[in-house]
Amino acid sequence: MSYVSLENSEPFLKCFEVIAEDKSCIVSDSVLYFGGKTGKGFITVAGIPSGIEVLAVNVSMLTDDLTFSFLPSQSASSYILSFDEIGTPGKENELSLTYPGLPGERFHSSVTITDADYGKLVTYPKERVIRSLIVRVQKSSLDGLIQDFDGGTIRSILQSTSTTSSLSWPITFKYRLLINDFMSEILQHPFRELFTIRNISVLVEYLLQQFFVMDKLVKEGDYLSAQDMFNLTKVEQHLCANYRTEFPGIEKLSRISAMSPTSLKTKFKKYYGETLFSYYQKNKLEHARKLLDNKVPVKVVATEIGYSNPSHFTLAFKKEYGFSPWHYLNPH
Amino acid sequence: MKPLTQSTTHPKTGLTHQFSERLPVGFTITCISQTSEQLDITLPAREEEGLLLTFIHYKGELQITTGDSREALQQTGPGIGLLSSADKPLRFCSSAPIQFSVVSLFLNRDWINNFMKDNENFKKIEQVLQKEENIVCCRLGRKQLTLLSSIMAYKEDNGSNLLEIQNHALGLLEYSFCCRHRSLSGGNSAETIENEDDLSLIKEVESYISEYYCSDTFTVDSILKKTYTSYHKLNFLFKSIHGMTISEYIRNKRIERSREMIADNAKSISQIAYEIGYSSISNYILAFKKIYQITPGKYKKQIGHMA
Repeated sequence: MSYVSLENSEPFLKCFEVIAEDKSCIVSDSVLYFGGKTGKGFITVAGIPSGIEVLAVNVSMLTDDLTFSFLPSQSASSYILSFDEIGTPGKENELSLTYPGLPGERFHSSVTITDADYGKLVTYPKERVIRSLIVRVQKSSLDGLIQDFDGGTIRSILQSTSTTSSLSWPITFKYRLLINDFMSEILQHPFRELFTIRNISVLVEYLLQQFFVMDKLVKEGDYLSAQDMFNLTKVEQHLCANYRTEFPGIEKLSRISAMSPTSLKTKFKKYYGETLFSYYQKNKLEHARKLLDNKVPVKVVATEIGYSNPSHFTLAFKKEYGFSPWHYLNPH
Repeated sequence: MKPLTQSTTHPKTGLTHQFSERLPVGFTITCISQTSEQLDITLPAREEEGLLLTFIHYKGELQITTGDSREALQQTGPGIGLLSSADKPLRFCSSAPIQFSVVSLFLNRDWINNFMKDNENFKKIEQVLQKEENIVCCRLGRKQLTLLSSIMAYKEDNGSNLLEIQNHALGLLEYSFCCRHRSLSGGNSAETIENEDDLSLIKEVESYISEYYCSDTFTVDSILKKTYTSYHKLNFLFKSIHGMTISEYIRNKRIERSREMIADNAKSISQIAYEIGYSSISNYILAFKKIYQITPGKYKKQIGHMA
């Protein structure tokens, strides 16, 4: 097992040295590439002197579990946010029903906030495709970012659950899309710092939106069992992966989740804030929008995301965003 | 809210909406939108040192002048971004009816040092900035205009989210730097065409041509269908980049390929003609003659002699 420990007060850059020491890795331009036995991929770092540090991990097929350990430290008062997407290689459109580890463990995609004062252990499982962003943000700068919201809430919740000192939620399609974009562009981007801060800022926005949904649920006393949560993530993954085909239908989803259709519907709505279909539809249309950004013609986009008729696509797009694809392409 | 100096306002004829906010990430955003008969707005010079990024979109006619010079700035049309140093005021005026909106981001020196001090690409941009009379332009694409209009839609009272504005602003910021970077780093053979969409279109068409030009079902029409453009537009773009029409471009490519095949000396002329997509040999010979002033047969013999 590869084991990497990080002194919490040290910048992330140090972790390269630690990892590079005992492996055949190449470090260049604050990117660490490693190949061979340990897997393919890179780890990159973007330190931003305004109190935000980002560690981007993009690896596939590790032959060993990779563990980062952030040691507890009192000197730097900060949060560690991590956005992980963990998939099974080669089966992006297929649902993997077997996960190593227990439900609720860190072996599947999730979003986590941890108070760095207590330290943190991150383990990346072997033989998976892993895209992960670990952001260390100083409390003061996060509070600056969320002054619009009730800034103290996160802190008070983290303090009240001092036994675990971290909050964790399932990942949604928005994060997936953003993390994928981030990983594909970060290496050759000419203004890496700007690019990073923009993406982090967007991620924090998503995180806060999700946070307040979850917070409301907890206040209303709507807890879900770990098994339920696990089953819901399976459904969510299935919906996300199959955006090109038509909506799978409630029966199939309820079989996947091992819940009755009614309870699946209500629980999904509560947890993700969307109905099953509108979640599926939103993901689909986000993909469409990304294609449109790349100047793909509307007709082609419609076929690409699985509409047989472009006008159906236009209608759906208009319903979601308030303007037609054509208007999106020609805003003025 | 900082009041802006507006030398002349027409409250009766115009509709002005403006706000100024300090974003959590550390820079200040100022937005003004105005619809009026006449326009004369000045963005005042800042006392702090820093950079000012101004994104402008308008309908009508607009003149932009920097502080000390009387001369109007050269500009390409609506939907532009300006990068200038913040110690000079920017003045926008128009004597005709105009619908005008501007978003300006002020980055102070500390912020720049924080984020881009060690960035080689940024240093290059800064050098250019000093040379080119303190102003650098770029054109905004579709996506950026969408961002711009969603920033303009922000109002303090209806509870939109400041973080969202920040994300849009960062998007614009990143775009304008990248745009400048691309034009500085060269690799862009067509300097006359500034529109990014057109450039990517041309690239797409070129790659399509190089893939299919040998097939006999390949026509210019099939390109048009594939890329959803008009023949005239494509021809215009090709003329300005390659100096020839699109059909000439394709013909040159085909003949060039046939010349290579002749030099290989493995196939007969008629075989070659069919293989590069000509349906009749005489057409091919004519086309070959037009470019190399010699028929393919004679050319083959010449090469044979040389070998």
